[in-house]
Amino acid sequence: MKDMTKDILAGAEGRRRNGVGDPLGANSEIGRKLKQYYDELVSDDVPDRFAQLLSQLEQAEPAQKKD
Amino acid sequence: MPAVSQGFKTDLLGAIPSLRAFAVSLTQNADKADDLVQETLVKAWDKHESFQPGTNLKAWLFTILRNEFYSQMRKRGREVQDSDGIMTARLAVHPAQHGQLDLKDFRGALEQLPEDQREAIILIGASGFSYEEAAEICGCAVGTIKSRVSRARTRLQEILKISGEDEYGPDAISAQVTGTAAH
Repeated sequence: MKDMTKDILAGAEGRRRNGVGDPLGANSEIGRKLKQYYDELVSDDVPDRFAQLLSQLEQAEPAQKKD
Repeated sequence: MPAVSQGFKTDLLGAIPSLRAFAVSLTQNADKADDLVQETLVKAWDKHESFQPGTNLKAWLFTILRNEFYSQMRKRGREVQDSDGIMTARLAVHPAQHGQLDLKDFRGALEQLPEDQREAIILIGASGFSYEEAAEICGCAVGTIKSRVSRARTRLQEILKISGEDEYGPDAISAQVTGTAAH
């Protein structure tokens, strides 16, 4: 009996969590705006400094071959 | 120390747009964000050996960036962010008409969230991470991420005066906030 109660409670918990689980779905205004906000940031042009930085890091690596 | 592979470098380059987006979301400042991304790339380069190939590089990089952000904040002495008083004073966003929510208003609302809630809702709602991945990035329990996302959403709805879009009815947390618990 105890186990059954636990199962029922777990089920209710699961359903409640599912309700909360997709609070940012496609139908949600907040969810849409959030993606719009972020996508705009992601599509921003990347300044050259980062490619330059990685090239510098690459050149600064200690030479591996020492024979 | 083994050389950094070409593939790793290419993957780092590919991750930069996402890193910048996450950094802006955290810092709310484009210059600070780019400095943060730079630090992240240098750190990632230095400790590339600790990355396990085949695992999620983006999550690994986000973790580094986030740690860097919080350690810088601690060093600088925390900038005022999450004082309720200040936030309430800045709540003057005019009501949004349904479906016509301005992106600028949204940005302003996002800025008003405490960092932990903002990063949670960004990781889950925008960066495409699962709750498990977000929990790993933030070094906390999955349940903690869930409740932060939920609080963030409720708060954004309050600030932007959006209501009635939750098809499941008020969840436990918003019910606590809006509930009329008459004692």
